[in-house]
Amino acid sequence: MLSPTMSTDEPSETAEQHGHEHHGVEGPGYPTPAAMRTESEREKTAFVMALRVGMDVDGPDFVGVVDVDPNSDTYAELIDTVEMPNKGDELHHFGWNTCSSSCHAEGLTRDHLIVPGQRSSRIHIIDASDPRSPSIEKVIEPEAVFEHDLSAPHTVHCVPGGKIVISMLGDADGGLPGGFLQLDQDDFSIDGHWEVDRGDMEMNYDYWYQPRHDVMISTEWAAPETYYPGFDLDDVEAGKYGDSIHIWDWETKEHRQTLSFGEEGLIPLEVRMPHNPEETEGYVGAALSSNIIRFWEGDDGVWDWETVIDVEDRDHPDWDMPVPGLVTDTLLSLDDQYLFFSNWLHGDVRMYDVSDTGTPRLVDQCWVGGNFGERREVGGHEVRGAPQMLQLSRDGKRLYWTTSLFSTWDNQFYPEMGEKGSLMMKADVYPDEGRLELDEDFVVDFGDAPGGPARAHEIRWPGGDCTSDVWQ
Amino acid sequence: MSHAVTLEWRDGRSATVEVREGETVVDATERANLGVPYGCLYGACATCTGRLLDGTLVHVDRPNGLKPKHRQAGYVLLCVAEPRSDCRIEVGAEIQADLVPNPWK
Repeated sequence: MLSPTMSTDEPSETAEQHGHEHHGVEGPGYPTPAAMRTESEREKTAFVMALRVGMDVDGPDFVGVVDVDPNSDTYAELIDTVEMPNKGDELHHFGWNTCSSSCHAEGLTRDHLIVPGQRSSRIHIIDASDPRSPSIEKVIEPEAVFEHDLSAPHTVHCVPGGKIVISMLGDADGGLPGGFLQLDQDDFSIDGHWEVDRGDMEMNYDYWYQPRHDVMISTEWAAPETYYPGFDLDDVEAGKYGDSIHIWDWETKEHRQTLSFGEEGLIPLEVRMPHNPEETEGYVGAALSSNIIRFWEGDDGVWDWETVIDVEDRDHPDWDMPVPGLVTDTLLSLDDQYLFFSNWLHGDVRMYDVSDTGTPRLVDQCWVGGNFGERREVGGHEVRGAPQMLQLSRDGKRLYWTTSLFSTWDNQFYPEMGEKGSLMMKADVYPDEGRLELDEDFVVDFGDAPGGPARAHEIRWPGGDCTSDVWQ
Repeated sequence: MSHAVTLEWRDGRSATVEVREGETVVDATERANLGVPYGCLYGACATCTGRLLDGTLVHVDRPNGLKPKHRQAGYVLLCVAEPRSDCRIEVGAEIQADLVPNPWK
């Protein structure tokens, strides 16, 4: 029998005690994506990356805890902050020590967050066993990362076999190539490079893997020394930004194939594969081209791709050139029915029905902030920036986002965030009706963070979420 | 020998710090708790961009985050810069934003 309620906001010993009796092994996470969607409780707190790098606020970045429990007195407030020991990290993306991919592995507990500094290349290990009061347990200093000729840590996934793999965007000098850094889950020591043969892969960004099919897909931003200082069209013209994704053999850790998109797929950032472990396809958001590209494995084992969504540029009276949507984050619901993505320069979040995977159908979109959104203020807070990093509740009924992209890029497009910080917002999602609606009662203004304004970035729930968990 | 480096923010604030032999400007501003922004600390990310107004300052590591046009315009990366004379430098988070404007506007 399944336990009736599985709190995800209690210390982790009890956080995921649910429905594992049937296979006799108590591992972290959920046996299937459907189990995670239906058997987990509503999220009560959120971990949110918050940064001060590149601001005139003389303080470090922090991991924020936001209360997302509407029954709580501190609902929609920042209830805890864990400041990093150094300044200048640029906390960005982060991940867990373990997830549903190790569901059948005994003795593992989802209780540590791996929190890299994108600029500093420093990696923080946070004890998150109390989701309301996380604490720093260990710090891997940049020099230890540079020793492996890697820098600029980005995507963190735990992987079966007791390891953590982090995509690294640069070499020790902030140039190319990047690679993948592997940590051990036991003591968070560095093993070295994950990859055995990187083939023609030079640029790196995000990755996703589908272990049942022995495949990993990685994407491309640029060399850190190129994207760190800001976005320069001359660098695009010089071929310094990515336009390809890479297919890897997950088991042998060898590069197998490169899919090059050219103009259709400039700056392919976030990659998502269905949570259903049977699937051999997925989507990548090409930020600059503002396209969603679908990729899939053919019968012959060769991967192919096509553009399935093309966001039209829009004219703006104050801009000399048409404004691209800039698709910066994408997300698939746990039931793989809905694809959400943000158009950071336009100012909307879109919701597509992707049950026919090759023919996404736009069902709704929500406008707020940005360069075209008519809503400039929500709940008495001016909207700085536009929907960017997304996170969906496990049950698919609440979509949250933050509005900052990257400190230097914010400075170019939404400079007010450099002074006043960014926001966390939310829409209610009605999956049965295929629509979403801005919740004007939920705004967390990181401009009011203790110690001074901060930019809020990636969001995760204790207990796992749509962008953290993979199934074997 | 040490050099007196005067920092000027665009809001009118200013401060002078003694930068010691072998010390970068960011090392010195951190020692003096002046809150000058920085990121990577090896010259790649340009978070610590300043603009040299007066004096002699040298990069002791490659300032890869700056393009030649930026260097010609006097921009410097303070995490890899050491003074060779007393200097005056414009600092603050806004200086980095000078480097790369909105390309479409």
